[in-house]
Amino acid sequence: MLKIKELQASIGEAQILKGLNLTINPGEVHAIMGPNGSGKSTLASVLAGREDYEVNGGGVQFNGEDLLEMDATERARSGLFLAFQYPVEIPGVSNINFMRAAVNGKREHQGLEPIKGKEFLDMVKEKAKLVELDGRLRNRSVNEGFSGGEKKRNEIFQMAMLEPNLAILDETDSGLDIDALRIVSEGVNAMRSPERSFLVITHYQRLLEYIVPDFVHVLVDGRIVRSGGKELALELEEKGYDWIKEDAVA
Amino acid sequence: MDQRRRCCMRDLSKPQVMDRPRKSTQNSKAQEAGRKWVEQLEKQLEAATSQFDEALATLPVPHRRVERWKYTPVNGWWRAIGKRAQITAKQAGCEPCPIPGLDAYRLVFVNGEFDAEASDLPVYPGIVCSPLSLVPQTDQAPRGSNSLEQEDWFAALNGKFAKEGLFLRIGDGISLDRPLLVHHHSTGEGCAAFLRHDIEIGVNAEIKLIHWSTASQPSRGVVNISTKATVGSNGRFQLDKVQDEEGHIQHMAFEEIQQAQDSRVDVYTMTIRGQWVRNDASFRLDGKGAHAELNGIYLPDNTEFVDNHTTVDHRAAHCTSSEHYKGILYGKSTGVFNGKVFVRPDAQQTNAYQQNANILVSDQATMNAKPELEIYADDVKCSHGCTIGQFDEEALFYAQSRGVGVDAAKAMLVHAFIDEILDGVAVHEVRLEVNHRLAEKHQWTEWSDHLE
Repeated sequence: MLKIKELQASIGEAQILKGLNLTINPGEVHAIMGPNGSGKSTLASVLAGREDYEVNGGGVQFNGEDLLEMDATERARSGLFLAFQYPVEIPGVSNINFMRAAVNGKREHQGLEPIKGKEFLDMVKEKAKLVELDGRLRNRSVNEGFSGGEKKRNEIFQMAMLEPNLAILDETDSGLDIDALRIVSEGVNAMRSPERSFLVITHYQRLLEYIVPDFVHVLVDGRIVRSGGKELALELEEKGYDWIKEDAVA
Repeated sequence: MDQRRRCCMRDLSKPQVMDRPRKSTQNSKAQEAGRKWVEQLEKQLEAATSQFDEALATLPVPHRRVERWKYTPVNGWWRAIGKRAQITAKQAGCEPCPIPGLDAYRLVFVNGEFDAEASDLPVYPGIVCSPLSLVPQTDQAPRGSNSLEQEDWFAALNGKFAKEGLFLRIGDGISLDRPLLVHHHSTGEGCAAFLRHDIEIGVNAEIKLIHWSTASQPSRGVVNISTKATVGSNGRFQLDKVQDEEGHIQHMAFEEIQQAQDSRVDVYTMTIRGQWVRNDASFRLDGKGAHAELNGIYLPDNTEFVDNHTTVDHRAAHCTSSEHYKGILYGKSTGVFNGKVFVRPDAQQTNAYQQNANILVSDQATMNAKPELEIYADDVKCSHGCTIGQFDEEALFYAQSRGVGVDAAKAMLVHAFIDEILDGVAVHEVRLEVNHRLAEKHQWTEWSDHLE
């Protein structure tokens, strides 16, 4: 589904990704862990198509297509989803209208008519249940005045509405209390399927108790320096990142 | 120390800064250009001598060193004026009512002349509504009673040359059953149109008025519209003002509105298209508890120029005013906002709010904004704010990352910005048409707020 080969990316003068390799097959859940500044969020941003970053080496294939050739909209429409670390507030645009524009964008891509009002509202109701997002939050401006937990739940709600092939969760667990973490994780788990893959980027092992990954990768200084099963996360939790950094240097 | 004490012990019975005549700085070149142009107008419009001749000779013709005209270039005004082409809306290919689905009375003017055939005047008990030219001079508000006419050269110009316009008297307790549309259309080369709207709204009376200005493409000329309205106690006046002129029109509009006790006035100024537009809106809150609401949007593109000057003069206690202007500037366009608020010594418990927010879409667009507050009462609440920024790139990326196309995302953000204003527009059909024309001008995907 996703094949990243020797990916290099920079922002301004700083080279952040220095040859990253990763392959994700349908249905797999991959976790990327790593210390601050290792390039985790850069990877998410580059994959989603944020233009601040310059890709200066390597390539990314998504469902057999060259991902880097597409703009952010096209990537989203072809089934890539990024749950933001810091979801953006858009005053004056209601959450529900925002989602309707998004859903219709995707439908246009698939050659379908815009969604009917009733069908859309039914879909909203169904998906909102997944993350316990009540009507009040659905009708308010996008993320405006939402608490940290509400914003993250809203991200997962949007993911459920758009039904992506590949969802990237960028530190979705940061700053969440245990209840919000449970709700968010249950929402994600409900969406796991043999066709859908996840790339879970996190700083803390705690999230991986709820969303159990098939693979864990450790990102240090722009490269994946170690990969393993879910037990690798536990090892990291116990020993920290230093031993891996030392290993990597050695 | 001395200085400060003197300042505090200011004698409030003496005229305040606001009542002093504006510094008259004449510029000989501007003066000459103005004089020549007036001569031309006198010839082409066959105007008689009038009480304004002296004012026109002595008032400073605006130029860059006059504070109120600092950012407003007037050179475009001195172009040649031709004979007025007598033409009807039908001949000009102009739709008498530019707003689809609108059920309204209307007065249509083309190049400053009344077009009876295209008009549909209200015949309604308690209401006098007619083109100004049919009303005896003695019934009209006296020329020169508009305070701007004594101070501003362009307003004095209107006093001298305007013969036509809307004459409207709404009797006490009367409200018109439908909105009243005043549509002005410019067409042809070198046309100078002067309109004068003379409005009195009685006690407890109510009216919704629409001013809509259009011009055909191509056309070249000047339009000078002056509106004077007095609103009686507890009266209600709603004015939706839309400027959508193609071609090359220099458009100047004055509003002078006087409000009695407990009256409420809402003016929405929406500039869609216009090569050069200056709006000068002045509100006088004379009676206790009056409320003025003045809002506007402007979205100039290319080399368009839009200027909004506003004055709110709080003269009585317990009055409130709320002002909200928003602009999005594209291309090499220029915007000006100048918001003046006076709070006089007797106007205690005033609550005045002013906000001007702007988005510069291009590096070459310019915005000049200035709030001016003069407060002489000590128990008041006045606030103002002004912002000039860019499109929120984060919000744009966020929307794109959800699969919203970049154009649709921009339209969405534009509407998030201007809908706050458009939501308050008095007549729903006006709002829809403004939306539609803006989308057409800027080639947006139409963004609808409503689920079908």
